[in-house]
Amino acid sequence: MSWLSGLLIGLQEIREHKFRSFLTMLGVILGVASLLAMFALTAGIAAGWRSTMQQIGGLERVGINDKQVSLEFADLAALSPGRTLADAEALRGIPHLVSHIAPEMQVGATISAPDGATVSARVTGTWPDNFTVSQHEMAAGRFLTDLDLERGARVVILGDAKVAELWPDEYGTDADFLGRTITINGRPFAVAGILARYEREQDRRRRQALARGDKPPAGQAMGGRGPVGSGRRDMFSWKNESVIVPLSTLYHEFRSGQKDTPPLAMAKLDQLNFRVRDLSRFDETLREVQNLLKGTRRGVDDYDFDTREDWFERMETSLRSTQLSGGLIAGISLLVGGIGIANIMLASIAQRVRELGVRLAVGARRRDVFLQILAESTVIGIIGGLLGLGAGVLLLALLERLAPLESPPVIEPSAILISVGFASAVGVLSGLYPAWRASRLDPIAALRYE
Amino acid sequence: MTAIPDTPAAVDLRDVRKIYGTGPDPVAALDGVNLRIDPGEFVAITGTSGSGKSTLMHLVGCLDTPTSGHVSVAGEDISTAGSDRLARLRNRSIGFVFQAFNLLPRLDVQRNIELPLVYAGVSAAERSRRAAAAAAKVNLTDRLTHRPSELSGGQCQRVAVARALVNDPALILADEPTGNLDSANGADVLRLLASLHAAGRTIVLVTHDPAVAARAARIVELRDGRIIKDAKT
Ligand SMILES: Nc1ncnc2c1ncn2[C@@H]1O[C@H](COP(=O)(O)OP(=O)(O)OP(=O)(O)O)[C@@H](O)[C@H]1O
Ligand SMILES: [Mg+2]
Repeated sequence: MSWLSGLLIGLQEIREHKFRSFLTMLGVILGVASLLAMFALTAGIAAGWRSTMQQIGGLERVGINDKQVSLEFADLAALSPGRTLADAEALRGIPHLVSHIAPEMQVGATISAPDGATVSARVTGTWPDNFTVSQHEMAAGRFLTDLDLERGARVVILGDAKVAELWPDEYGTDADFLGRTITINGRPFAVAGILARYEREQDRRRRQALARGDKPPAGQAMGGRGPVGSGRRDMFSWKNESVIVPLSTLYHEFRSGQKDTPPLAMAKLDQLNFRVRDLSRFDETLREVQNLLKGTRRGVDDYDFDTREDWFERMETSLRSTQLSGGLIAGISLLVGGIGIANIMLASIAQRVRELGVRLAVGARRRDVFLQILAESTVIGIIGGLLGLGAGVLLLALLERLAPLESPPVIEPSAILISVGFASAVGVLSGLYPAWRASRLDPIAALRYE
Repeated sequence: MTAIPDTPAAVDLRDVRKIYGTGPDPVAALDGVNLRIDPGEFVAITGTSGSGKSTLMHLVGCLDTPTSGHVSVAGEDISTAGSDRLARLRNRSIGFVFQAFNLLPRLDVQRNIELPLVYAGVSAAERSRRAAAAAAKVNLTDRLTHRPSELSGGQCQRVAVARALVNDPALILADEPTGNLDSANGADVLRLLASLHAAGRTIVLVTHDPAVAARAARIVELRDGRIIKDAKT
């Protein structure tokens, strides 16, 4: 007898006892449903995190921050010029390790559009590389160029939120903002580019749904959030509120000319970020950068690297613990399900001793009986697993309706395979003992059994 | 009966003992039985209740092995055979008819008849062809899709006979096949067995009813696990 006919007998048994089989499967159904839901939820969170991570520069982005010099070297600290453009220039020396360099200087300023509003803003002067380091995207126009930098051109790149503040009446229409002139602390700048609107995936989807005129999903308040990312500050607001000019322009227009300003090369930076070319050489890159900075900082250890690695690690740990607790619940359900299957199989064998006796009498071998019972419990496990998949999908849909999730769940094919795989394994394992019991039956005793 | 020496006996028992229980008073269900049945014979085994008829049937039917002595079925010595070999012999060489019919209640008639073929690894198409042929022999062609619960006792026993036939076994064993039937249906089943015998099969029929035993060509009588009479009618 083959596995196939064993499976067919199993299916027939299940069809004969639909309700009993369903009850038997309940544990497996719940187990698989929670396993799938857990996988989908954590995959959703991970995907959300990954896209957020990508938008704020990815793992490759490293910042150089100031650090308090330890007390014993305090008298040396004065030797170091601190974080200056010289650092950034030095980083150019290792292009094989550092692919992009983005020094930043910032000034608070009043910006105003003659045909719009006047608002205050933090203006950033930087290099064209900032485009890649901060993972910007253009909605219109262009980013800074080397030529802008060289010439100290009066061009400005605006974030989406700033456009909304400057031209509230025209924002959201198809008005063209490129080439308009705004003033920054009274000096005219031409708008050369508009950055894309940065937002989380689910915000984007919600906004697009609203734009199509759909009703917002239940439980989601419509108000609060204007057409722009104004109201709430989130992790993208620093990008959306960008006002970016060439570093040289910013320095010459707003910083120099005052008394004892250092030359540009020695001017303090407010930020210095760079992009590691190859993540697999991350540590080596940091070591090389340290070597370079030894020169510019005159050996003083007054800086720190700000990497996303620990952030990433924290995310991984928290994901893993979510998975673990979800997996534990699912595991317990599956275990209970397995015990249920084993129990029902033992009961069903006891009911069918005589049937098994007849099968033995007409030539079934012990292993045929073993396979038959095992196939039956496997079928229960697999069907339970498939029903559990359905239940899991329903559960997720319900969850999303009742309480929209920060990160929408993602059902990956591997999660489906693993869930159903577990259910089948539970079916097989829980059938082993009953199948063994059945295969030990004495045909004569079984035939006589009442 | 003139036994041709080099044809293997259908059944050959040599000094067979079957002892049940190992405690202080073991029961010798069979106690030194010698019996040879040639191919094509129709033998009735009789005896009082507890005389060892069913025990003998189980040994001949390869459902069990003797405590001592030798049992050969269709030329194969099964005295020390393992369960797989016994199963194969039951499947290929033996057809059983039980007093209690022993049909599977959830399978229809056709599938009940097919059952031995399933374990013989016969394809589904061939199975249903042979099941239909066996059903025709017992006059049940019009009941193939019915379940046993929808049949009379006589019909059930005819299904059981068809199932015993379907693998074309050399030996058909019937343990009190008429025990649960009224006389008309019982006579029917006996006629069937007689016709199978006429077609050349070896039949061993266990009964305590002398009238039933009289249908056979040879009657073997047991008492307390021993053969006390072996006579042709
Ligand atoms: N499994 C067993 N364990 C212990 N003793 C057994 C077992 N099977 C049979 N016996 C004993 O062996 C003896 C022969 O039993 P058997 O079933 O062969 O009798 P029988 O001739 O078929 O009787 P009946 O006509 O009542 O069916 C009886 O004494 C019975 O008690
Ligand atoms: Mg008996």
